[in-house]
Amino acid sequence: MKKKLLSVILACTMAVSLAACGSSAATGTDAGSADAGAAEAADAGNADAGAASGAAGSVRLLNGKPEIDAQLQELAKKYNAETGNSVTIETIGGDTNASDELKKMYQTDNMPDIFVIEANQAATWDGMLADLTGEAWTNDTDYELVDSKMGTIGFPYTVEATALAYNADILDKAGVDPASLTSPDAWKKAVETIDSKKADLGITAVFGWCAEPANLGWSSGTHVFAQYLDAGLKQDDTTYIDLLNDGGQIDEKRMHDFAEFVGMMNQYSDPDLLVDGTYDNQVAGFAAGKYAFVTQGNWINGTVTSSADYSGFDMGFAPYAFEDGIDTIIAGPPSYWTVYSDGNVDGAKTFLQWVSDDSAQDILVNQAGLISPFNDCKFDAADPFYASIKGYMDAGKTSGWHTMLKKDGLQNETCQVFADYAQGKFDADSFTSTMAQVIKSYYAN
Amino acid sequence: MDGFSSQRKLISFVCLIGGAILAIAGLGMAIGKTGNPLRGAAIILGVVAFFVGLYLFPTLKHHRSIVNIIFLFPLLFAFAVTVIIPLVLGIGYSFTNWDGIRVRGFVGLDNYIRMFKQPSFLWSILITFLFVVFNIIFVNLIAFLLALLCTSRIKGLGFFRASYFLPNLIGGIVLGYIWQFIFSSVVTKFTTALFDSRYSMLSETKTAFVAIVIVYIWQYAGYIMLIYITGLNTIPGDVLEASAIDGADAMQTLFSIKIPMIAPTITICTFLTLTSAFKQFDVNLALTNGTGSVASFFGNYLTNGTEMLALNIYSTAVINNEYAFGEAKAVLFFIILAIVSIVQVRISNKKEVEL
Amino acid sequence: MHTKEKTSNVVIRFIIAVIVAAYVLFPFFLVVINSCKDTSSITANPIGFNGISLSQLGQNLLDVIYNTHFLFWQAFGYSVIITALSLVLLAVLGAMAAWVICRNHTKWSTVIYFTFIASMIIPFQVVMLPLISTFRDTGKFIGIPMLQSVPGIIFAYLGFGGAMTVFILNGFIKGIPMDLEEAAAIDGCSPEQTFFMIIFPLLKPVITTVTILNGMWIWNDYLLPSMMLGQNGAVKTLPVAVQAFVGSYVKQWNLILAAALLAIVPMIVLFLFAQKQIMEGMIEGAVKG
Repeated sequence: MKKKLLSVILACTMAVSLAACGSSAATGTDAGSADAGAAEAADAGNADAGAASGAAGSVRLLNGKPEIDAQLQELAKKYNAETGNSVTIETIGGDTNASDELKKMYQTDNMPDIFVIEANQAATWDGMLADLTGEAWTNDTDYELVDSKMGTIGFPYTVEATALAYNADILDKAGVDPASLTSPDAWKKAVETIDSKKADLGITAVFGWCAEPANLGWSSGTHVFAQYLDAGLKQDDTTYIDLLNDGGQIDEKRMHDFAEFVGMMNQYSDPDLLVDGTYDNQVAGFAAGKYAFVTQGNWINGTVTSSADYSGFDMGFAPYAFEDGIDTIIAGPPSYWTVYSDGNVDGAKTFLQWVSDDSAQDILVNQAGLISPFNDCKFDAADPFYASIKGYMDAGKTSGWHTMLKKDGLQNETCQVFADYAQGKFDADSFTSTMAQVIKSYYAN
Repeated sequence: MDGFSSQRKLISFVCLIGGAILAIAGLGMAIGKTGNPLRGAAIILGVVAFFVGLYLFPTLKHHRSIVNIIFLFPLLFAFAVTVIIPLVLGIGYSFTNWDGIRVRGFVGLDNYIRMFKQPSFLWSILITFLFVVFNIIFVNLIAFLLALLCTSRIKGLGFFRASYFLPNLIGGIVLGYIWQFIFSSVVTKFTTALFDSRYSMLSETKTAFVAIVIVYIWQYAGYIMLIYITGLNTIPGDVLEASAIDGADAMQTLFSIKIPMIAPTITICTFLTLTSAFKQFDVNLALTNGTGSVASFFGNYLTNGTEMLALNIYSTAVINNEYAFGEAKAVLFFIILAIVSIVQVRISNKKEVEL
Repeated sequence: MHTKEKTSNVVIRFIIAVIVAAYVLFPFFLVVINSCKDTSSITANPIGFNGISLSQLGQNLLDVIYNTHFLFWQAFGYSVIITALSLVLLAVLGAMAAWVICRNHTKWSTVIYFTFIASMIIPFQVVMLPLISTFRDTGKFIGIPMLQSVPGIIFAYLGFGGAMTVFILNGFIKGIPMDLEEAAAIDGCSPEQTFFMIIFPLLKPVITTVTILNGMWIWNDYLLPSMMLGQNGAVKTLPVAVQAFVGSYVKQWNLILAAALLAIVPMIVLFLFAQKQIMEGMIEGAVKG
């Protein structure tokens, strides 16, 4: 009798554990199909793909620009409505670095089909990126990312420009012509003029420049640092990036001139922002007319124009003229969408082709405020910076985004040097020597 | 001899054989890379069926051993897969140039030699030790004082104990963000007014380090306090009474009776704070993420001023994609902790002998 | 009984206690009041009551709860499921294993026991990296995903929590007289009956202790789920969701603090109900561990 009873109890225990296992399998598939989640995407690339969904299937896209997240969600809806295929947008950005997260996703076998990379990260994904050579859209753009070994790997989804963004109203009132800002002396004079009229202009500081390292390291370490590498150079001139990538060397003279310029920015910046501000405060301050210049790029346009404090002023870019004659801004695609070769490659190709066509460009250009990298795009960019950027482009005065080719992770080191400079721990000389040492040792390790 | 029904024998054998076949078939499918999605289920079902068969196996002599195996297996299996296998693999990987996916080659001791040449890693070790020392002293001191406070006669003891303990309930990530807010938005208001220093404590290595220590004490002191309270409560009342009759004042009672009597508790608390401070990760990540500059450390300018060991290992592997190198650092971390733990066991054993 | 103390001493101690309590609780206070503000009021005045309103609190909470990076109910649900199942399995399987280890005086049970104890000093960092690759490869091998899956992470918690659970339970089982089991055996109880009907019910107090210890750890754990589940996987626990939420937006403190509020409220509510058990459980665990 007792034995029987016990068998029953044990059978129950077994049944429970079985059920647990059963549910485990169920949850697995559940997560997979419902959210186009990890599990399935991983397996989908292998044998049992195809059956899952419609023609091109569903793809996952990892976006690194939180500011256009809403518009991309919109894009996903439209894609689904027009083609029946689906795309899931996952956004990482702001404080978390998309490329760091991507490495983790790779380790956990959770790779999206399309993901964002910067040009220098292509090496990290060597052999894992699909070759997009021959896709129809490649004929309509000059900006695709081509790798000597892997072929065409990057889809350009936007053209971005960065330099010193200015508030045209303030410069106008102060009597400063942005076109004249092509030498350190001209800058010094202009900055002093604006600074002396701060009260009249109603501004807090000349520059809205933020060197906070923990969250805004990408801004100082990559974008501002980019000016040292490229300002004044032709689009395809790689002098300083080549020097840098050759064991971490810098041009001391150029770095010193750059340091003097950054020193001026430190001096005339809003002290509340300079050391531990945030991107939000920086952009909000610019939108509210508190700064004449801000050290960001045209990606801030949406945030600025939608701000309640925005008075409708015009915007443009002035070059970081830390040496005489520097008159270029940096423009081009800072990052690309690439296709994971073990993912749903066909679905991804279908999606990218669709993105390059009108109905998608409509959203990207008119709603997200991006500048289209495609020649056949029929929409004029809604970006308020567009006129200024186009002026530089037409005059051939744009420099490349070669900062994206520096050794991955360097910005996390150099941003700290910017931060210390901003706190007044360095002068231009020690900034230069520290920069040289930090870069050297980063390349050595 | 055997009072087992033939039915039971049948079920047992069917389960044993069927389970074994199913499990082997599943394994076969997995090894053969057939991609059959049922392979996992086949293995699991097979193993379970096998155990059912084993359980029902008609034997009295070995029944106890069978039950023992069935009872031990699930936990041991999970333990082996999550701890033992990764540990062995990890130690092995630390001698290679593993990138998290593939091992491309054997590099011998290179990773170990390299980490001692990396100033930023040496710095991480240094500040981790500093952090541990600061915490052992302050957490224990504060916790002990709070314990004295909470064992004296004041109103609302329960409330005070509970509220001092409360921070320990909150996970490190969440409270890291809460404190990041406090340091960057609230504390700056005071420092601006008092010292005319408008910068957040987190933007300067030294003050950021102090900030991490403060947060850690805030989180941990309440917990350690509870243990001291338990220790203090074990002191027999008559001992205290006797000392009071002998005319000892509060200070004398404290130093000649209370502290010696709770020596074992002090040992426990010291090592508890020590190991947990060593492993500090969440708060470090959420509060500063390791940033902070060091002007000159062996002549090097460092940018990871507040990055402690656990975080350094994490960022080496996950952020810089150097899995083998990170793993080698982790093995060193393990060795340090092992030495500390052995010392702890030695000391507590000695104490017990003396008592 | 006690010596008379000066009232002034008592008052001073009371005042100190109040000041410390105020300091300890101040961050919680800040979280609550700032969750009721919008960003600009927080920047202007993070300490005071200016600009707080219940509707703003509702607004912030709704923004967080329905944010695609946070998805509060989903993360909360996963946290509950993962924690609860891990705790139940750890308690049952841990007790089973501890009982076998404790009652068998053979060489291998000693070996297993000391392996468990020795493993308690292994820092998670050493096993974290190979763990991911082991789980990834196992998952691929058997065709059931072990990463980004609820069963996978529960399995991992079983492995990591097993050692301490067995250690504490073992100490308790040692104290249960063998006579009980011998008597049961004479009455014709099989070993598994003896365990489930006699021993297991006796373990209730110590199981409460391990459940509290493991529960605090699993509920608040960040590193393991962040490695195994990822910040934007389909499955997220609360700490991972908080980190993903904060990481995907530039600092909007009202929302971040509202998210923190959501993450800490369940714990505090639980604490209010089971304060005594939680505090005692934590002490037990420390003294024995």
